[in-house]
Amino acid sequence: MRETDLLVVGAGAAGLSAASEAAKHGLAVTVLDDNLLPGGQYFRRLPTGYHHTHETVFDKERQRANALYATTGQKGITYLNDAVVWESPENGVLAFARGADSGRIRAKLTIIASGAHDRPAPFPGWTLPGVVTAGGLQNLLKGQRVIPGRRAIVAGNGPLVLLVGATLARAGAELREVVEAAPILKRLAGSIADLIAMPKIVRQAVDYRLAIMKSGARLRTGWTVIEARGADELEEVVLAPIDATGKVDRSRARAVKADLLVVGFGLMPSIELVRLLDCKLEWKPLRGGWVPVRGADFETSRPGVLAVGDGAGIGGVEMALREGKLAGVIAAERLGKLSRDQAANLKAPIQAEIAKVETFRRGLERLYAMPPAFLDLLTPETIVCRCEDVTAGELRARQDAGFGSTAALKGTTRTTMGRCQGRNCLRTLSALIAQASGQPIEQVTMPRPRLPARLVTIGDLLQEELPPIEMPKDPHLPRGERVS
Amino acid sequence: MAGSVFVETPPRDAEIAVVGGGVAGMSTALFLARAGRDVVVLERGVPWGDASGANAGTLSLQVKRTEVLDLCKLSLDVWKRFGAEMDIDVGFGQPGGLRVATTEAEVAHLREYSEEQRQGGLEFEWMEGNQLRDMAPWLSTSVRAATFCREDAYSSPLLSGGALPAAVGKAGGRIVGHAEVTDLKREDGGYRIETKRGALRVKTLVITAGPWSGQLARMLDVALPIYVDVNMLSVTEPAPKILDRVITHIGGILSLKQLANGTILIGGGWQGRGRFAGMEKFADHVRLGQNLTTAVSVVPDLAKLRLVRTWAGYEAVAPDALPAFGRLPNNDGAYIAAAARGGFTFGPAQGLLISEMILDKPPSTPIGRFDPARLLTGAHA
Amino acid sequence: MTGFRITDGIDRGTAFQFTCDGESVTAYPGESIAAALMAAGKRQTRVTARRQMPRGLYCGMGVCWECIMIVNGKPAVRACMTPAEPGMKVETQHGVGDPA
Repeated sequence: MRETDLLVVGAGAAGLSAASEAAKHGLAVTVLDDNLLPGGQYFRRLPTGYHHTHETVFDKERQRANALYATTGQKGITYLNDAVVWESPENGVLAFARGADSGRIRAKLTIIASGAHDRPAPFPGWTLPGVVTAGGLQNLLKGQRVIPGRRAIVAGNGPLVLLVGATLARAGAELREVVEAAPILKRLAGSIADLIAMPKIVRQAVDYRLAIMKSGARLRTGWTVIEARGADELEEVVLAPIDATGKVDRSRARAVKADLLVVGFGLMPSIELVRLLDCKLEWKPLRGGWVPVRGADFETSRPGVLAVGDGAGIGGVEMALREGKLAGVIAAERLGKLSRDQAANLKAPIQAEIAKVETFRRGLERLYAMPPAFLDLLTPETIVCRCEDVTAGELRARQDAGFGSTAALKGTTRTTMGRCQGRNCLRTLSALIAQASGQPIEQVTMPRPRLPARLVTIGDLLQEELPPIEMPKDPHLPRGERVS
Repeated sequence: MAGSVFVETPPRDAEIAVVGGGVAGMSTALFLARAGRDVVVLERGVPWGDASGANAGTLSLQVKRTEVLDLCKLSLDVWKRFGAEMDIDVGFGQPGGLRVATTEAEVAHLREYSEEQRQGGLEFEWMEGNQLRDMAPWLSTSVRAATFCREDAYSSPLLSGGALPAAVGKAGGRIVGHAEVTDLKREDGGYRIETKRGALRVKTLVITAGPWSGQLARMLDVALPIYVDVNMLSVTEPAPKILDRVITHIGGILSLKQLANGTILIGGGWQGRGRFAGMEKFADHVRLGQNLTTAVSVVPDLAKLRLVRTWAGYEAVAPDALPAFGRLPNNDGAYIAAAARGGFTFGPAQGLLISEMILDKPPSTPIGRFDPARLLTGAHA
Repeated sequence: MTGFRITDGIDRGTAFQFTCDGESVTAYPGESIAAALMAAGKRQTRVTARRQMPRGLYCGMGVCWECIMIVNGKPAVRACMTPAEPGMKVETQHGVGDPA
């Protein structure tokens, strides 16, 4: 079994910052990354064979990105790419799949920086080719410099909407509409005092807005996508305003021709690993939903397991970089590489910066708080579970037949049981249950966490050396405990 | 809710209560309701919430002990009739099964075991060499011999978990979910049942609560020794056809089959970790690895597939590993299906046979040896 | 109407070809199958098993499994996570990916 002082799961902004800082103070660090190249989503890296000929508007983060990539070659750091963490067979040990190199690793301390993915927001036609997530669009831009369509519409809720709109405008797409569901212009006055805590980001947002305007696209706030249409691919998008009560006003809906619809209704933390580790969770809707409960020093309810970055609650890249760095200091202190005083001196400036980002986040959250209408968009034919092709109508029929719990709906429709393991449907399923039962969504039972945390190839799992198999003497006889 | 097969609270009085909404309980309730009897199913969670929903759905005749072959044949027949005669889609399929042996010792064991089963009425074919390769080219060359039983089958825990409760409702039975039974008492020639959803009085009581059955029996002063296994199961991603038979292993360490949606279920009685109290159950890392190793050693192509999910489910077993069902000792008008070793397989037969006892019909197959009273004697009294 | 590569500021190296459903597609070293297909205007990656619905790239980060295709005969390969290679044979995946 491999051993390391500090194990970092995830090689995005938070994970690499943590690893770099911890290694700087003398810890042996191992980073497990499920991607081929380091950087995670925000700092997604171009193929190594691509060369920059000159700086463009898409290269503004190159310096910070290169510094992070360089971390993987830093002294004291072992970086393992294409490694899927799937299990924790015992305290302090994680199992990972990595082809012939699959195995287990024991760490004195573990930092989980699992990142986030787009929150599913189903509406009729959201499964058509040509409808992609905001995160996916940004990945294609950063990692491939490819735009997956020409005539484009962006719809959603949150800061990514403006960013994606600007990306498409600057890339030369025919940007038609950018629609933000929250009435952010009306709310701006109430948020600006907090937002200016991060003046650089505010300036960026203004730039994004200008780029969108310059492209000739319409920028609407308080509007949403209600349907995507097309035979085999996206051909048309239907947009409608949201009224003061949060309902969609279909009387003012308008259809716009498009071959690319980017949807971004916020991100949600990837919590499969903290769930598998049985870390306590709490519901923080403004941080993306379920997040691990963290004590001082980012420790989860599982001793020795820290969680940082978007995977511990959506905070954005500026938060992730700083939380990661702070976690690196914390790890070095806990493992005896820094004295309490040394650590305190290093922590103070990072904590002060985190406080500023927190202030900014509060403003952002007030600005973008989502009107609660999205379940109204579902028609009986709308797909909820993309992997298993389960529709809202099927789920509601099961609910009406009395199979209303998470377990019963899962068990009788296969919702959440496909390859995505519920990442694209569990939130919707919970919302449907909450709606039918009148409970708040956070009281809807979550399915039991199951391994593997992510899909792994069976052949990889057989790389591990196991004790020889002993045949039961009589396989019919009981093997478990007596219970009565 | 309109159209629901569930009711919120139990009625104050009913003729028959079935405690436990798994496959044995729903089958019992189905046959009773179809015979026009007033029956209420009390389920502690949701139907198929535990063992019935967490098992592999394998209905294999040839893995069973000789003593239970007739019972197993009856149950397979009921499983088949659900779909064929009663229009209840339980996802029944009967592709036949191969029971494999990989070492000399296992081949000898398979020969001996299958011969004994032949005496007990099992029909099978002995397969080896080219004949085996032709039938199952996807088997590893390490498989030296197999018995092929045409009757081996499967049904879907998923589909049956929706369809059987719906059929009970359609036949007039009532189902109460989240109605954990907290007390049972004999009262005026019947039974008084306290549940978390209210109390009721019945003339006839049927306990079909899998691993909880022993604790319920104890409320009526019957001590039945019941053990609980924590069986692990795994499922792969959906894939093009890899195997088209139900696979079991003579050592009792493997069950494999590919379902209609292309996913492959991998089991074999490998034990997870956890305790019954508090319903804590988890997969065990090492034994999962051993289970997958065994599976790949028999069907090598499985190594290419991705594992989607592993889980653990309870299975109630009597100390002698024979089914234990029939009249609840010392309690007139009470019946129990406490254990089976293959509870999903045997559930429909147990349901039919218990309904026959209640309806005063002759049993479809002799059941004397399965009388739970046997467990009260000897070391376990 | 089609997707496109941003060429400003980037030298991608030497292009090569692979095939998708028999048609030739251009790609560059390190480019993902999905990116090359998007740039070629091909967006449908699979047809679902149960309802025969068309699907394409959705999450772009390996989470959703919507962009799975048959690559060199192997089903369920994520086009967004897999670099294209010269001569690679890529096919739209129908259902579980039975050979055509």
